[in-house]
Amino acid sequence: MTTQTDSKANISQWLMVFWRSAAVPLVAVILALLVGAIILLISGANPLAAYSALAKGAFGTPIAFGRTLEKATPLILGGLAVAFAFKGGLFNIGGQGQLLVGAIVAAAVGFGIDGLPFIIHMPLALLVGSLAGAVYGAIPGALKAYTGAHEVITTIMLNFIAINLTDFMANGPWKDEGIVARTPAIAEAAAIPTWGNIPIGFFFAVVAALATWYLLYRTTIGYEIRTVGFNSNAAKYAGIGVSYTIILTMAISGFLAGMGGAIETLGVVGRYQPGFNAGLGFDGITIALLARTNPIGVIPAALLVGAMQAGSSQMQFDANVPFQIIDVIQALILFFVSADMIVRWIIRVKPEEGEQVTLSTSWG
Amino acid sequence: MRYTRIWLITVIFFTALVLAACGGAAEQAPAEEEAPAEEAAAEEEAPAEEAAEEAAAEEEAPAEEASADEGDCSSEEVFCVGLVTDVGEIDDKSFNQSAWEGVQIASEAGAQVDYIETGDAKDYTANIELFAQNGYDVIVTVGFALGEATAQAAATYPDIDFIGVDQFQGETIPNLTGLLFPEDQAGFMAGALAAQLSESGTIAAVLGTDLVPPVVAFKEGYEAGALYMNPDINLISTYHPGGLDVAFTDPEWGASTAKQAIDQGADVVFGAGGKTGNGALIEVAGNEGVFCIGVDSDQWETVPEAHSCLVSSAMKLITPGVGELIGMSNAGEFPGGNFIGDVGLAPFHDFDSEVSDEIKSSLDEINAGLMDGTIETGYNPG
Repeated sequence: MTTQTDSKANISQWLMVFWRSAAVPLVAVILALLVGAIILLISGANPLAAYSALAKGAFGTPIAFGRTLEKATPLILGGLAVAFAFKGGLFNIGGQGQLLVGAIVAAAVGFGIDGLPFIIHMPLALLVGSLAGAVYGAIPGALKAYTGAHEVITTIMLNFIAINLTDFMANGPWKDEGIVARTPAIAEAAAIPTWGNIPIGFFFAVVAALATWYLLYRTTIGYEIRTVGFNSNAAKYAGIGVSYTIILTMAISGFLAGMGGAIETLGVVGRYQPGFNAGLGFDGITIALLARTNPIGVIPAALLVGAMQAGSSQMQFDANVPFQIIDVIQALILFFVSADMIVRWIIRVKPEEGEQVTLSTSWG
Repeated sequence: MRYTRIWLITVIFFTALVLAACGGAAEQAPAEEEAPAEEAAAEEEAPAEEAAEEAAAEEEAPAEEASADEGDCSSEEVFCVGLVTDVGEIDDKSFNQSAWEGVQIASEAGAQVDYIETGDAKDYTANIELFAQNGYDVIVTVGFALGEATAQAAATYPDIDFIGVDQFQGETIPNLTGLLFPEDQAGFMAGALAAQLSESGTIAAVLGTDLVPPVVAFKEGYEAGALYMNPDINLISTYHPGGLDVAFTDPEWGASTAKQAIDQGADVVFGAGGKTGNGALIEVAGNEGVFCIGVDSDQWETVPEAHSCLVSSAMKLITPGVGELIGMSNAGEFPGGNFIGDVGLAPFHDFDSEVSDEIKSSLDEINAGLMDGTIETGYNPG
């Protein structure tokens, strides 16, 4: 090989680290697309036509690219919520519920207050919505910390409560005039604007990802959260307040999910309407796994899934392929990421230490 | 060692890609010869050309295809009709399917038709735009949830006629017609039938969510119709408790709710709520001596599993309504505003002998009364 200088060694070392952490998701995506292509072939469609239509619908025009970013925004935040809780040893399936609560509370602040300037109103609605998500996330955290109730169960239950609570509010106390069950439109000063076709909310999500990474790896709180996630008994022995840390972890996780919902309301939908945020929180689990719970990795993972969602209509239109193939490909990606033994066998990459994702721990 | 492996994988990957490309072309040609309704008649001119292009695995192939469509639809001669579903599916055996069948009536008359299924409620506008920007002449949007997106698109594209199924128009836009149905009247007929069939004096309704006004109209009409025939009737009506994303796609809930109602003595069950309602019908079919009533279309055709209980269905005649409006658009007589479609009970099929002449004549009377306004359902969405 070539002569090795220091900088080259550094670069190749860095590439090695990158390859180790990104190889499995990258190969998983390629495998999923290949299997998806086979499924398309069997169903009589042309995979190349389908995939290029998908790409056109996701990146082909500035409008399409804007929609990809718009779709990726709540996915980044939903993915961060799940990834963050993972680091604290918690499996937050309640992202959907926290997102809905964040979305409707942001809407309430958006339509309930009038006459505030943009510089106050929009951040206020965003913050209050996110905090509502945090409170809603702290509930299963407290239940876990003080009663030992498993967060998987409680967050699933709280999802149902959130769905029905938000439907009730949108069809009851906060209902808009007319027969449609939805809240009134938010004030103009509360709306998150777009910059050309680029939704500004996307940058909030990117900042949230960077902040999450900083919090986890560069602060004492982050260290404590990761320690509790690694071994709560050892953390307790080391003098970390485990109960407090669990509640805090879930609250921050809920904050991120709630922020996703708030940005949807303030930047995309313009009000709260039942059914308009379906599944976003659950997609967060896919994103977090694809990113191997790395807060920075969440961004490309969300962009990938967001692009597929944004391009699926174009794919239907150009190639007559039903949009459900996107769900199949997403499920396949998830399958290959979870069953990473398959991928590792193909490409012979050793797992990076400490980056193993454990989906669930023992009960209690 | 490791590098050979990577090379091997790369080679396999590209081989697979090339195979996929060739296979695609081979598969494509026969698929198009079968001439599925959604394919353009005009497109048949060039299948060989297309196959050749795709065999060469050119990225532009689909783009060419799209621009061919575009040319067709924006030309004067070709009449193009596009349909955008709500978050249900095109083969939902109800609503979206009925509207699509209406569009296909137009395709038999020579129109080029296509549909897009919506996966995410936030995509309604984008999906309508896809048709609008490709020069379609008529765009059908299915479901009240698309009302706002449709009205906006109608304002942006004044040269395109829009048909909004179940979309009430508060103000008239000349190129937008809301196709509406008095669901409460269909429900009233179903309720009157149920009350007369019931021997236990208890009847039930298993419903999609009350977040959707037409479902509420069906329910209110059903109850009013039953009470009209028998003021002492015992009614068990249950809405799906989940959100919009699950309320119409939860046959298990529909089945268990129907079962509960039967356990409480109900001997007629009205299932109104997409796949959720279908679940109720199929559950009832397994119970001797209990009748069921379907919704939206004649579910005798769409849910054969329920033949052993399905007396009738409270129909919204979406298919002829959509077909008629497309015809009017083609003839340059598009009405705008609200267009009221027909409702009614589906044929009794195998139960024709079990429904007495007495019941039939009372239903005819009620139908006449609803038509001339002497009978009111009492449903007021205001």
